[in-house]
Amino acid sequence: MLIVQALINGLLLGGLYACVAIGFSLIWGVMNLINLAHGSFVLLGAYVTVTLNERFGIDPFLALPVVAGTLFLIGLLLQRYLLNRVIGGSVFSSLIFTFGLNMLVINLLLLAFTADVRGITVPYARVSWHIAGVFVPMTRAAVFAVAVALTAGLALFVNRSRLGAAIKATSFDVDAARLVGIDVDRIYAITFAIGAGLAGAAGALIAAVLAFSPVLGDAYTLKAFVVVVLGGLGSIPGALAAGLVLGVAENFASVLIDPGYRDAVGFALLLIVLVVSRRGFYGKRFYAELKS
Amino acid sequence: MPNSNPEPGRLFPAVPLAAAAAALAAAGLILDVYWLRILTGAFLFATVAQSINIIVGFTGYPAFGQVVFFGLGAYAVAIATADLSTPLIAAAVLAVAVGALFALVCGPPLFRLRGHYFAIGTLGLNEATKAIAANWTRLTGGGAGISLPLPTGSVAANGRVFFYAFLVLMLAATAAVWRLGRNRFGYACRAIRADEDGAEASGINPLFYKTAAWTLSAVFAALAGGFYAAWQNYVDPSTVFDMDIAVKGFVIFLLGGPGTVFGPVIAALALELVSTAVWGNLLTFHLGAMGLLIMLTVLYLPQGFPGLARRVRPALSRAGA
Repeated sequence: MLIVQALINGLLLGGLYACVAIGFSLIWGVMNLINLAHGSFVLLGAYVTVTLNERFGIDPFLALPVVAGTLFLIGLLLQRYLLNRVIGGSVFSSLIFTFGLNMLVINLLLLAFTADVRGITVPYARVSWHIAGVFVPMTRAAVFAVAVALTAGLALFVNRSRLGAAIKATSFDVDAARLVGIDVDRIYAITFAIGAGLAGAAGALIAAVLAFSPVLGDAYTLKAFVVVVLGGLGSIPGALAAGLVLGVAENFASVLIDPGYRDAVGFALLLIVLVVSRRGFYGKRFYAELKS
Repeated sequence: MPNSNPEPGRLFPAVPLAAAAAALAAAGLILDVYWLRILTGAFLFATVAQSINIIVGFTGYPAFGQVVFFGLGAYAVAIATADLSTPLIAAAVLAVAVGALFALVCGPPLFRLRGHYFAIGTLGLNEATKAIAANWTRLTGGGAGISLPLPTGSVAANGRVFFYAFLVLMLAATAAVWRLGRNRFGYACRAIRADEDGAEASGINPLFYKTAAWTLSAVFAALAGGFYAAWQNYVDPSTVFDMDIAVKGFVIFLLGGPGTVFGPVIAALALELVSTAVWGNLLTFHLGAMGLLIMLTVLYLPQGFPGLARRVRPALSRAGA
């Protein structure tokens, strides 16, 4: 039963990991930019949620659109005025730039909120279901449902809308996209903004169910890494599958081996996938990469 | 990757360099403990930056998680001196062996990756190694870390010993970079950076040279970590496998001008002096200020100080004419 419970816990957590990762995956896949500040955006979203909750009593699920919108705007401005100057440069100049951005955001959060662990206790936190001896808290199930809905929504947007088609075209071939009249700078700004907005949404979901502190930013960025590499760069269904696998693997490692190895499991998976296949589950490989 | 090749220079500028090295060596005799510590830190980061210079500046592979060798070297020295009471020199040899072996073993699988994937591969390597160090409690003491035996001499005397140890290490790393700028090995690496397939077609074995360059860079990073462990008398996973060390090394490498021989040394000294002067006043926010500085460096000084000089000098001469 312990195993089944670990499986369910892992799946519920995995949905959240997928949601953390899709924004990161979109930015990387379309712009060939690894945003090391992604985890700090997630936490920024969590802190906006907690502030809205404490000041105005807004439920984290209702705060989610506001938080996502705020992060969307921040992302838009960041890309327009700063990041567009770094993109297209060397791999490590963008890595170092976003690492610096990450340090700045995390330390601003530390100044504003201190390193104390925070969280929100929603009034319905104790509602849960017992299904065949397995314990399923309702909030976690709701977070899972919203996370999967956001992932599906992104997939629909990219595959069905005109703007989504332009984003996809830009990721295939920047020059060809320019030739057919796509404003690449605008697409980059929108892509980065959507990625940041999704990070904010993930942050709101984290605030609803998990405890967090500014120092956890890197942990979320690294989880996004693992999910994207496992699932295949740019693949949204891949990110969902990989998120679930990572959530389950972490829970199994912590139950079967030792809680200390929780995070190491992700990296073991990451290194194995990178070295053995570098394609991931859904490795269509259509998004850019392999040009260095 | 900027295209400026490491500038070999026709002659080793022996006289000014000897003078600079002598001035630094003399500084070690007169400075107080506080300034000794600051300069020792600058030498440490200059060494890390030169280690990055060897792999990134020459082969062009963005080895982002280079701090893994620093951490391994630190743990090698910590375990050897604390648990086996090995003398420090022998412990340093062990650090070199561990760092080099790790690069030799991990190089071939990781060098199948390029660009971003190589960068995250090295980052993952560091995180996985950090997790192992944090959990293999019997060997590493786990998250609690390892305290090294305290040195016997006075604080000032020990400060001097490590000042000279790091000075020599930094000079050795710089000499290695200078040699690489002129010998066949360095040319092979630069050919790989310019065009790996082309290099292979002209008879260079890319895997051999990439792994060899990484091993050389690993040796200096591991020694820096090993000396650090002995200097601080303490190691724990989150300190010695901290990505901040790698990124600070990268920033110094960028500021110094990628692919230059002495740039990283000058940039490390400049950065440590500036940080001492400015950030002493920003105790709660010095990491945030560091983040801002990193962003500004990438935005405005992507070619480092040499690039700035190239831009400023013509402007000055125009103004003078």
